[in-house]
Amino acid sequence: MKFWHKILLAVLVLFIAALDVSVVMVMKKSWQLNMDSESKRAASEQLLITNNIYENLDSIQARGVSLDPALLVSVAKSYGQYYRKQGIELELRENGLLLYPVQDGGSSGQEEVRAAQEEHIMTLAMPFPAPYEHLELAYKRDISGLYAQQEELNRFFVMINWIVGPLLLVLLYLLIRQLTKPLKLLSETTKTIAEGDYSNRVKLNSRDEFGELAFNFNKMAAVIEQRMSDLAGMAEDRQRMVDNLAHELRTPLTSMQGFAELLTSANIGQEDQIKAGQYILSETMRLKNLAFKLLDLSVLRHQPLLLAEVDVATLFETAAQTERQRITDNGLLLHLDSSIPAVWGDADLLASFLVNLIENAILASQPGSTIRLLAYPQDGEGVLEVQDSGSGMTEEQRRRAFEPFYRADPSRSRAYGNAGLGLSLCRQIAEAHQARVELQSVPGQGTSIRIFLQLPNNCPPTL
Amino acid sequence: MAHILVVEDEQPINDLITMNLKLVGHTYSKAYTGSEVAGMLEKERADLVLLDVMLPGLDGFGVMQQIAPLQIPVILITARNALSDRIRGFELGADDYIIKPFEILELLARINVVLRRNEQAGAVFICGEVEVRFPERQVRVDQLPVDLTAREFELLEVLIRNRNIALSREKLLELAWGYDFAGDTRTVDVHIRQLRKKLGWEERIKTVFKLGYRLEVQV
Repeated sequence: MKFWHKILLAVLVLFIAALDVSVVMVMKKSWQLNMDSESKRAASEQLLITNNIYENLDSIQARGVSLDPALLVSVAKSYGQYYRKQGIELELRENGLLLYPVQDGGSSGQEEVRAAQEEHIMTLAMPFPAPYEHLELAYKRDISGLYAQQEELNRFFVMINWIVGPLLLVLLYLLIRQLTKPLKLLSETTKTIAEGDYSNRVKLNSRDEFGELAFNFNKMAAVIEQRMSDLAGMAEDRQRMVDNLAHELRTPLTSMQGFAELLTSANIGQEDQIKAGQYILSETMRLKNLAFKLLDLSVLRHQPLLLAEVDVATLFETAAQTERQRITDNGLLLHLDSSIPAVWGDADLLASFLVNLIENAILASQPGSTIRLLAYPQDGEGVLEVQDSGSGMTEEQRRRAFEPFYRADPSRSRAYGNAGLGLSLCRQIAEAHQARVELQSVPGQGTSIRIFLQLPNNCPPTL
Repeated sequence: MAHILVVEDEQPINDLITMNLKLVGHTYSKAYTGSEVAGMLEKERADLVLLDVMLPGLDGFGVMQQIAPLQIPVILITARNALSDRIRGFELGADDYIIKPFEILELLARINVVLRRNEQAGAVFICGEVEVRFPERQVRVDQLPVDLTAREFELLEVLIRNRNIALSREKLLELAWGYDFAGDTRTVDVHIRQLRKKLGWEERIKTVFKLGYRLEVQV
């Protein structure tokens, strides 16, 4: 049973019951009042008639006429005829014997009618005051009109019930449908959201509780949608990472397996044997580098650092020394410029940070351009910066640059880079130092990456 | 036998594939980027293209679209085994799809299947006095027909298609007898002995110590 069914039924039953009870009570009261006034009227009329007859009888007696039954009947008759026109029957009894109206055999049919209407006849009987105690006047008044009126009222009441009931049903149906419309809307929207369409919203603009519910519901749906898209994005990132890792593992493995097969089972010349051996060696190195980088990443994540004062000039020299050969091979220049003597950090990790960035810069740069290693103070922090004027990155590339295994080159070609772990390693190193990393890049103009470290005169960060 | 274009940007893998192609008697060209493929194929027709999917410049799928009018069979080589990639490759008309890392024998077998389907597998193989005609399943020594059983011919074909590569007895069983053959590896020895005797190839079919057999032919 639906909610609006319940409301409809409950309201209908309650309303009709209340209406009926009150109408019945009103009718009962009105009946009672009518009866009261009717009996009062009857009593006063009877008193009036009795008094009139009494005075009549008195005056007759005063004239010296004896009150024989015939006279009494004639008196009663004259009154009786007069009052019959007003719907009042009079009966006169003497010592319990009916004097008026005179009984006659022919009026039996009338008797029956009278008997049938007996219950609707109001009868009041009272003896005359002295000296006519032996006489008794009965006053009979037909009140079937009152009953008929009551009957009529009853019929009318039933009719009203029959008319008002269905009318009420229709009106209630329309009203309740209208009032529960927001519920239906909410329910439909919840259903579509449950089916996975998180972009759906309840379109309801009312200030009542439903409006409030809809507002909160929409807020919830928005949060859920956001979460779902975040989750989907994360799943996508993870999938991309796994795909890239698979490529980084599979490519060298393919060569290693293939050349090893070739060496063991093929009939090849010595020159090819040497070539195969060299390839197995170089691809093994490549896998080894990848494994070590992954290990570095994991170690950095789990091991606290011991920070010390790192001499910037020595740091730059170490990094430059490592990369000098590659820089000259690629026809590039390296420019070192340091205006701060030292920073807080781990010398090995910072050197690795710089070396990774220099390698990226070499890959991005055209022969003849310069790579700059800079160190300077800024807002109380020591900044190390690696700057190149190479190919730069697009916004999409900037956004994903720190993602493990991300390579700007979708073919992940060996000619233009490595596994794509360099920048994620740099970010890990920065995080281990609780330092900020900033990447600035303009396509076609170059890239600069900065790390913001504590200066030795400041308190060392507590790790 | 066939001329094959190898498109692969990883130098080691490119060399690996071409060295093996040379061993089994195919000729080849090398390409390292996707963008140069169409131009190379215009200059020199190839019977088959081995195509890496992740290529600098134009990727493998782009290359397939470019060379589709040439109607050259393509085998895709890729490190990604996502179903969507495979479906995309086949939709673009790839004949086969092989995932890194692969075994060389598997690559050669797939190459042969594709070439045979396109009737480029090499109908006749001649080595010294021996002439093998694959379509007719005929073998002649000194112009005289030699009778080979069906199984011997299958074994001979496997040896020729993978010549200069040592094949283990198990591999030979798998390739010549079929995956579900429940025979002994000594069956292979018996058939090899028969082949050597019938073709006079005592020297050509080498027993490789601890491994199996190899048909040696000068490249």
